[in-house]
Amino acid sequence: MTKVKHILFVLLMGFGLVSGCKPKPKGAGASYQVATIPVPDGLLAETGGLDFLSDGRLIACFTRGEVMVYDPKTKEWSLFAKGLHEPLGLVVINDSEIVVLQRPELTRITDTDKDGKADVYEKITDDFGISGNYHEFNYGPVRDSEGNFYIALNTASSGGGIRDNVRGELRLNGRDGEDGKRQMYSVVPYRGWVLKIQPDGKVIPFASGFRSPNGLGFDDSGNLFVTDNQSDWVETSTLYHVKKDRFFGHPASLVWQEEWKDADPFSLPISTLDSLRTKASVLFPHGIIANSPTQPLFIKNNEQFKDFEGQFLIGEMNRDRIFRVMLEEVSGEFQGACIPFVDGQGLSVGNNRLAFGPDGSLWVGQIEHGWRGDQGIQKISSTGNPPMDIAKMSLTKNGFELTFTQAVNPEGALAIKNYQLRRYYYAYQKKPFDEPVDKSTQRDLQFVAIKDITISADHMRVELVLEALKPGYVYELKLDSIFNQAGKPLDNQLIAYTLNNLLPS
Amino acid sequence: MVLKYSTALILFFALLMHSALLAQGDGKKITSIEIKAIPGLQFDKVRFSVAPGAEVMLTVTNSDEDMPHNMLITMPNSREVVVNAAQQLAEKGPEMNFIPNSPSVLWSIPVIYSGESKTIQFKAPEEPGIYPYVCTYPGHGFIMYGYMYVTENGIMPALENDENIPPLRRTENKNLQDSESAAMHHHPKLHPYENVPPYLYRVFIEGSSLASIAVHLPNQLSYAWDAELCQLQFAWQGEFLDNTDLWHGHKNAYAKVLGEIFYREKIELPIRIGSRENIPSPEFLRYKLIDGYPEFHYLLSGVEVHEIIHPNKEGSGLIRTIRISDAKEPVWFLFNADGQVEYAFSKGEIEEGALKLSPDEAKEFTITVTKSEQ
Repeated sequence: MTKVKHILFVLLMGFGLVSGCKPKPKGAGASYQVATIPVPDGLLAETGGLDFLSDGRLIACFTRGEVMVYDPKTKEWSLFAKGLHEPLGLVVINDSEIVVLQRPELTRITDTDKDGKADVYEKITDDFGISGNYHEFNYGPVRDSEGNFYIALNTASSGGGIRDNVRGELRLNGRDGEDGKRQMYSVVPYRGWVLKIQPDGKVIPFASGFRSPNGLGFDDSGNLFVTDNQSDWVETSTLYHVKKDRFFGHPASLVWQEEWKDADPFSLPISTLDSLRTKASVLFPHGIIANSPTQPLFIKNNEQFKDFEGQFLIGEMNRDRIFRVMLEEVSGEFQGACIPFVDGQGLSVGNNRLAFGPDGSLWVGQIEHGWRGDQGIQKISSTGNPPMDIAKMSLTKNGFELTFTQAVNPEGALAIKNYQLRRYYYAYQKKPFDEPVDKSTQRDLQFVAIKDITISADHMRVELVLEALKPGYVYELKLDSIFNQAGKPLDNQLIAYTLNNLLPS
Repeated sequence: MVLKYSTALILFFALLMHSALLAQGDGKKITSIEIKAIPGLQFDKVRFSVAPGAEVMLTVTNSDEDMPHNMLITMPNSREVVVNAAQQLAEKGPEMNFIPNSPSVLWSIPVIYSGESKTIQFKAPEEPGIYPYVCTYPGHGFIMYGYMYVTENGIMPALENDENIPPLRRTENKNLQDSESAAMHHHPKLHPYENVPPYLYRVFIEGSSLASIAVHLPNQLSYAWDAELCQLQFAWQGEFLDNTDLWHGHKNAYAKVLGEIFYREKIELPIRIGSRENIPSPEFLRYKLIDGYPEFHYLLSGVEVHEIIHPNKEGSGLIRTIRISDAKEPVWFLFNADGQVEYAFSKGEIEEGALKLSPDEAKEFTITVTKSEQ
């Protein structure tokens, strides 16, 4: 009960402050609104997964093991399944069958007698290790067009040990130092991996090098993207484009490759590891965009988010924020930019799982689970006011092009002083032992001069021309005093582009 | 500045505010305050008081696990203004430690990370008043704050009536987890429904593998079934489980058994197929709920076994109904020899201390496991 009060209080305070805050035109002119969905008495609404049934009802799983169904029409909740062990993701197969990832297994849960309650809980696979370390969370599943499931397995926390009855082969070289207290570790199979699970249950180790990958999502071309959380080896949080057999940087997981079976991946020179890894498509600057990103959700054929078609929305745990990621292919690899999307406006923190409802509205499930977070389910929908936002930031030969969702007033848009551009990079490094887990450092931070600005004839696009572009840096752009024709400022004014590659010359 | 505090008042501070007056070399006295940033976006102290103009030594320690914090002391009534100004820093936030350039900010402690401490020394305002302190790390300022009372007499309003303090902090409720744990014992409302036996939780539980299913039966009986080894591991009488620690999620934890264990399996896979010596290789398949009771389906060396467990009427034991519909060879059931339980069986015969069933008998048989009387 006290907890509920506490949340209400946080919401009220958050709302009061944000609405009183100057440059964000939230409130009456806002383009999106946040509504809180009432949850039934007795439900600890720490949301592990969200999806929709074909009839428009929401199905959600919660950390105490419940799977509940919510009918937005009647606003009534019903119970579908219970007793699960820390379910952190689900997908609907059909209206009487879902697949849930819980701590010990990927499980198919079916209502065979069609009474609205599940009666068969079938293992799809349990072919992955468990050490008993609390931090070995399992994320996903997401499903591809062929019916394969993809899941991501968290590494174990240096803040906790392992049990003496681990499941799976034990490889202690998956941790740095004998006590495992230095960094996140992988001592049972496929911790720190993304796994592909065929419909017949066969597990295919798919990609490695993850730390705390609490979010998977596909785009509409079948590309898999996974987020990862900042700390050791992940200097700032990331979005990875996950392809088979790639390694994304956290060394612990390497011990589950045959050639690393007996080796100590932590002792490798950074340069070697760096040459093995695939860099993040997008870096989320720590303390600026996100500290703990969650699920990426792809926007497709969605009337309520049509200005951002083809982009991802991603939840953030630490702040009352959903942010947006836009990608483009440069030299055969994805890279792109991130920008806040919903900030404050009554949104809770702990934004763990996202799903689009049948009407296109965005449903968000919150979690805390011992970290900064919250409980509950909220719905974000368009108010009908068109967004005044940066639709896209893309790389050009000489700088960046910004596309706006509305024509901008050229006077502000052409003034160089209205753009502050900085660049910095994040080191790929083994975190120093005595450095706090939450510390993240922007390196070689410097302002970048804008040489010239041009605007398109329709005033929808501007190009910022720079002296030089330096790959390997985050280009962070802050905009000010840019308005649409009616004088409305930008909804979001800070965007960060991860420049891995230049356009081919 | 004249120190006019009596010894009694100094003691009062030392005891109640965890602050202390220290004598420095030059004879000046310093009020020492220690505050911790703790998990849940809180400072451990929501308020303290100092005398106007007092020399204050403030130490802030980040005792949170993985969250950076700072602390700003602001002019009275300026917390929200300062929090908003910090929010406006946007990309400048990290390098400025989320401390805005504002005349409303009197003193500040920059961002400190888990385990770090920083100390500042300042002279308290001469003007009595209520000066907020707040963490302005993004998203924290809404709830993570407290107040420095600058007052001549050290008197603050009673905590429960202090309108400045976040409502949740107006009582010194010690440990949320304790109260949750208590709730689990005394209030059954852990879910939005009433759990009526039989029901189950998949849990980490001591004495069984990390893939385990704990089942609560009618008649105050419960058991733990091991979904990795595919066997009943132990059974108990009494209440079911306390999952508080397990559900909390941020540390290694087990579900706690709230009863008396009367049976533990001592034999690895007591159901054997063909040879009684060969330990079969188990594979878990599924469970199916039949009137709420899980029927476990699993393979023992490729032979499918179904097993459902009911309580006996007296609440003293379990009735295991086992169905092996396509055994091609005899089926064996090995008994624990330690006398903790008594066994009864519906079919088959004892051969050299073990139950032997023909493939036909194995199609359905029961084993009853009852707590021994002695």
